[in-house]
Amino acid sequence: MASADKPINTDVPEKDVFTLHFLQSLSNLRRQNTFNSPEKTNDRVKKIKKAAYVSMARAAGGTNRLWSRALLRRAAKENSKVVRFPRRKKRVTCLRRRRSNRRDPVEEEEAERLRNLVPGGGGMETSKLMEETAHYIKCLSMQVKVMQCLVDGLAPK
Amino acid sequence: MDLSGRFGARSGDGVPFREATALESLHLGGGGEEFRQMVPPENAGGFTALLELPPTQAVELLHSSSSSASQATTLHSLGTLSFPSNPLLMERASRFSVIATENQQNGNVSGETTTTSSVPSNEHIKTEPAETETCDQAAVEKQSNRCGKRKELDKKVKSSTKKKSKSSEENEKLPYVHVRARRGQATDSHSLAERARREKINARMKLLQELVPGCDKIQGTALVLDEIINHVQSLQRQVEMLSMRLASVNPRIDFNLDTILASENGSLMDGSFSEQSYHHRQLQQPPSQQWPFDGLNQPVWGREENQDHGNDHNNLMVGSASLHPNQVKMEL
Repeated sequence: MASADKPINTDVPEKDVFTLHFLQSLSNLRRQNTFNSPEKTNDRVKKIKKAAYVSMARAAGGTNRLWSRALLRRAAKENSKVVRFPRRKKRVTCLRRRRSNRRDPVEEEEAERLRNLVPGGGGMETSKLMEETAHYIKCLSMQVKVMQCLVDGLAPK
Repeated sequence: MDLSGRFGARSGDGVPFREATALESLHLGGGGEEFRQMVPPENAGGFTALLELPPTQAVELLHSSSSSASQATTLHSLGTLSFPSNPLLMERASRFSVIATENQQNGNVSGETTTTSSVPSNEHIKTEPAETETCDQAAVEKQSNRCGKRKELDKKVKSSTKKKSKSSEENEKLPYVHVRARRGQATDSHSLAERARREKINARMKLLQELVPGCDKIQGTALVLDEIINHVQSLQRQVEMLSMRLASVNPRIDFNLDTILASENGSLMDGSFSEQSYHHRQLQQPPSQQWPFDGLNQPVWGREENQDHGNDHNNLMVGSASLHPNQVKMEL
């Protein structure tokens, strides 16, 4: 094929890595807050959600993936921390983007929606976006599994 | 890495890979075998056939006619590879020599519309993903697709250089990677790039289709994308739901994970564990006396995770409950 890359790698680490990171973040949360006040439930929910995403981003390959980088950057901005990522080589894809002006309108609409969903999707070309989406889906499902297990474990009926 | 090394070797030749196998071989999925099949010495037949082409085209093709000689030598210097004799390639080479004579009639390559050849191009698109098959198999398919349309082959040949230089960018700054345009398609450099991009997107789309359940049945990219978007949204919603549930559950449980984390490194730190759920404590009381905490931490953790991989939630429940007593202290 013309633009054959190396086989697209969307490996995701095992579940225990995710669990580890998530529990880590949860324990950090625990240390920070007092979970006694019921009025702050929403805040707590948001914090947990954020912790889930951040831990997922870290677990899933840290700064090697665009979406995880965007997630971490977003989270750090909220905490007003400065995040530094190792410099990547400038890709040639930006050149290509300017050149290929023929875009399938239907596909681009969908790609736009995907971009809104996947963190960091705004700056990516469509093919890169799809790669990131695949990895993101894998990580998300892994995270969901971990959280499900935790919830079931901590609140058995 | 290994693959990039192969690429480097290939590009260094600048061998005019006019054979259609070049297309397949460039797809790195095959790796070494396809590379070998691509560079058989029998190619010499096709090589010289193309040299009969009008010199301008030949120059264009070969990118630098002076290096063509060195190409042959470097080709043979790769002789450490074993080249299986490929009868199909021979046939194709002979066909090229036929085309060389027809070439004058076809003249310039014009941006011919691809309407008529859209079907074979689609077939090509389908055969492309079958890269993992052997070169022979793909070659057979290609030939059957092509049986009536030899005239367009030279167009393909001419466009190959343009596409080569285009894809050289995409292939990580390799000097000269040869790719072939599909038969009967426009050879404008823009459309070539576009086509390459499209192929990339289709490959990734296939990946996504495999990931998302129920997507392989759907035809058409728009619907598949819809499905993917729905899936991502549902996953995100699930995360939110679960985090809400965790938030409601969490105040009751307070666990300290230093010990767990330390056990990952094999050493056990002092950790305190406090828990306010009586329900759990009752579960833990019996095992806490029996289990030594040091040796079993890691295997317990690992075991519970292994079970989790089988989606057995109950095991984690027991596992997490049993993890806690493995820690040093229990505080109320």
